Amino acid sequence: MKQRFDELRRSSWGMSDARQKLLVLEEMIGIADRWLTEEDAYQVRIQYMSAAVEAGARERLLVAFAWCLSRFERSPGDFSQHSLMWHYKWVLNEIWRMPEFSLEVIGRVFEDFRQKCLQYGYSLRPYYQQQVNFMLSQGMVEKAREAYKLWRAAPRDGMADCRACEQNLFGSYLFRINHLKRGLQTLKPILDGKMSCQSIPQNTYSKVIVPLLKLGEREQAAVIAKKADRDVKGPMFLEEHGTFLEYYAVTDMKKAVKIYNDTIRYGLASKVGWDKFNYLLSVRLFLREWGKKKRRKKLAESDYVTLEWLDREIAGLAEAFNRRNGNSYMDEYMKDKDKHARRLVEAYRPE
Amino acid sequence: MQPFNFQVNLKGIIDLLSNHLYSDPGVFVRELLQNGVDAITARKRLGQAFDGEVKVEVFSSHSISITDNGSGLTEEEIEQFLARIGSSTKREEQDAADDYIGQFGVGLLACFVVSEEIALVTRSAKDGQALEWRGKPDGTYTIKKLEREVSVGTTVYLKAKADYEEYFEYYRLSGLIEKYGQYLPIPILLIEDGYEQTMTVPTPPWRMSGEEAMAFVEEAVYTKPLDIIPLESRLGGARGIAYVLPYGVSLQDEKRHRVYLKNMLLSDKMTNILPPWAFFVNAIINTDSLRPTASREAFQENELFYTVRDELGECIKRYLIELADSNAELFERIVMIHYASLKTMAVEDDELYALFIRHFRFETSYGEMKLADIVREHSSILVAATLDEFRQVARVAKAQNLMVVNGGYVHDLDLMRNLPSVLEQVTVQVLNSLEFASRFEELSVVEQREARPFLDLSDELLGGYDCRSLIRWFEPADIPVLYNTNQDMHFFRMAEESEREANALFAEVVRTIRDDMYEKPHARLCYNYNNPLVRKAIESGDAELKKASIELFYTQALLLGNHVLGAKELEMMNRSLLRFMNMGFDAPEVRS
Repeated sequence: MKQRFDELRRSSWGMSDARQKLLVLEEMIGIADRWLTEEDAYQVRIQYMSAAVEAGARERLLVAFAWCLSRFERSPGDFSQHSLMWHYKWVLNEIWRMPEFSLEVIGRVFEDFRQKCLQYGYSLRPYYQQQVNFMLSQGMVEKAREAYKLWRAAPRDGMADCRACEQNLFGSYLFRINHLKRGLQTLKPILDGKMSCQSIPQNTYSKVIVPLLKLGEREQAAVIAKKADRDVKGPMFLEEHGTFLEYYAVTDMKKAVKIYNDTIRYGLASKVGWDKFNYLLSVRLFLREWGKKKRRKKLAESDYVTLEWLDREIAGLAEAFNRRNGNSYMDEYMKDKDKHARRLVEAYRPE
Repeated sequence: MQPFNFQVNLKGIIDLLSNHLYSDPGVFVRELLQNGVDAITARKRLGQAFDGEVKVEVFSSHSISITDNGSGLTEEEIEQFLARIGSSTKREEQDAADDYIGQFGVGLLACFVVSEEIALVTRSAKDGQALEWRGKPDGTYTIKKLEREVSVGTTVYLKAKADYEEYFEYYRLSGLIEKYGQYLPIPILLIEDGYEQTMTVPTPPWRMSGEEAMAFVEEAVYTKPLDIIPLESRLGGARGIAYVLPYGVSLQDEKRHRVYLKNMLLSDKMTNILPPWAFFVNAIINTDSLRPTASREAFQENELFYTVRDELGECIKRYLIELADSNAELFERIVMIHYASLKTMAVEDDELYALFIRHFRFETSYGEMKLADIVREHSSILVAATLDEFRQVARVAKAQNLMVVNGGYVHDLDLMRNLPSVLEQVTVQVLNSLEFASRFEELSVVEQREARPFLDLSDELLGGYDCRSLIRWFEPADIPVLYNTNQDMHFFRMAEESEREANALFAEVVRTIRDDMYEKPHARLCYNYNNPLVRKAIESGDAELKKASIELFYTQALLLGNHVLGAKELEMMNRSLLRFMNMGFDAPEVRS
């Protein structure tokens, strides 16, 4: 069994397809749980958590984490506290994206994380940072503002996100409260290539498109979209793919079709409501644009992904989030998206 | 308020720049050649008629001189540029379309890596005074006016530092000059003991004809390339050749393209000057307008850089498209050897997809086949998304005349799914391995009734293992059962394990994911009614024997399918095996 485990591990290293890699790691976990040491089972799960994010199967990260957390709690001396808490932070970044979780459960997870930060002597900086995202996703701008202040004031330590990620979120936050120019200024070092990490600048590219168009900076938007076209790849960036799918649906249909055909299966496979919702909204805009002309070419999954289906899925997800959040913020969110769609069309096709 | 200046430790700065900017001590040769060539360009701009050349002379005791008959330097220029780090005579014209290679004026610092002192004798083409400048790495220098006759140009003298003597040996210098400067447009001469050797060659590879380039590559790398692809980027002023490797290369291998900037080698291991899919070629490229980084070992990755890269990539695409028409045999060979690279290209580019797809080979339930052959026989194709699923069904699929393609290798799933976009008559379906067995021939009503109790027993025994049973008639007859799982099976086991282990809060989290976000997958065990042993088991009146057969069919299927057996499953296998052994020993003929 050890042999099979090692063989799988070797093959996982060279795998470029994130989904396939995830499956291999799952088999490895199965073997490790039954036949190998606790240490093996723990370490392969740590590896699995990154792979789950890369494969766009973020919910699976939570499943692996749950096991690791329990082992850690049972014998804290045996495992790296920093590594565990680092992944816990990821959990906070993912859990609110899934409307299946109630606010009560999410609140308990946040609180548990906060307690552990205090217990192990970490700054609450990442806690507040994650709060900002969570609050914004519910449209609670005032609460997000409070959390943002606490986030910026809390000291940076080894648990803080890398500077590129933080900078990216500072910018995103400023966009959300409609400080567009300040947001762009904040993100400039990232766009100039001075700050980067595994997900930056790919994520930043998608964040600046809307503000740039709002400010009428079409040329700059085109430059960014071109860069994104080169760098944003794989199921990890579902929401980002959506942003550029929209953009190209209005500016360059051929490119949009390519993005759609390449990414639709990620969208269909995704179980993460927030990401899927945003992506499908973009797909709907794309399909509406696509349908304006008679086309001979067939799109991928054309039997399945129709406008009616999209309307149903989108409404279902919006409803799920509204129910979970106890408000109707998603309706507002969708209206805003529609406005953006109109803005796009006005900017590029002013007839 | 009085302004103050920062104090800089000059020695420290020089040490930092000279020892840490460059990755290889040998770059001083490049920097000196470059200064020489640039000085000659500058003198030509003054309108003076002369034949430019650079001479490198090797002396005993590990000293060398590098002489050019270029513009030379005036005292003012020495003060301004040699003695000030970060300046360069060429700087002002940096953004103009220029013929200079260098940019940074830090080139001379590279000499301090290998030498304790730089001595420079120069006479400017603008005034007649011969000057001698001596600089040391602690930042001190002297300038002396020379009385003796010196011809226009500059000579740099260097003596090796301890441990760097090797770089001043003839064999090493000739290697370095050849590496960096063999394609420079100005003759470079290497001299030792009065023997002169011209190190530059008349035609660089990017100006060669296809045949010349072929012979050149063969001589340089000892293997004959499959073909030469001419490369050109008008925007980036780049020209070059890409030679098609005669052997397959791994996607993980680092590319090593040789890239020249204005005929001077910039790097012989540049990875990203061609698009990432182009790993089946190695390139030799010269460019005039890309900007190097400070260390001059790579380019600044700006928009122009990517535009050039795209243009060069386009050359390779055009070549392949034309080759398909002009030389089908070579095209086939390239596809056969470099399928991994070409599959990556085809996924990225629709035009190439249409061109290549029929030539690609795939692993199928009928063995490895070319797509053209697959679609000749089959208009309905199933693709297994993972290698695991393919293995589960491959053998049985063939016996049912089902064409299943293994999509588990990189890109194969994407390539197959796109097939209807170029071949409208073909349907491609992603295999659902759990429903695969339902495609087989159903039993008659009577047979079904007969098999029912056996299946119920099987479900009862295997229910605890999330496995459901069915029975069909299928080929080949020697396979008693087919065990299928889907991709989520391992994940589900993992989720169950997590739920058992986790604290109350996270057990709830896991439960929500498992129950609300996924449908529980059941494995399928399909008995083959065509198999004599299965029939015997169904017909047997011995309940214990029936049970043992089911257990053994199941665990056997797991083993054959490379599945991980849990402790309970292992125990089940042992139990049933021992039972059969016992029965064998107890059989009347054995007893007698």
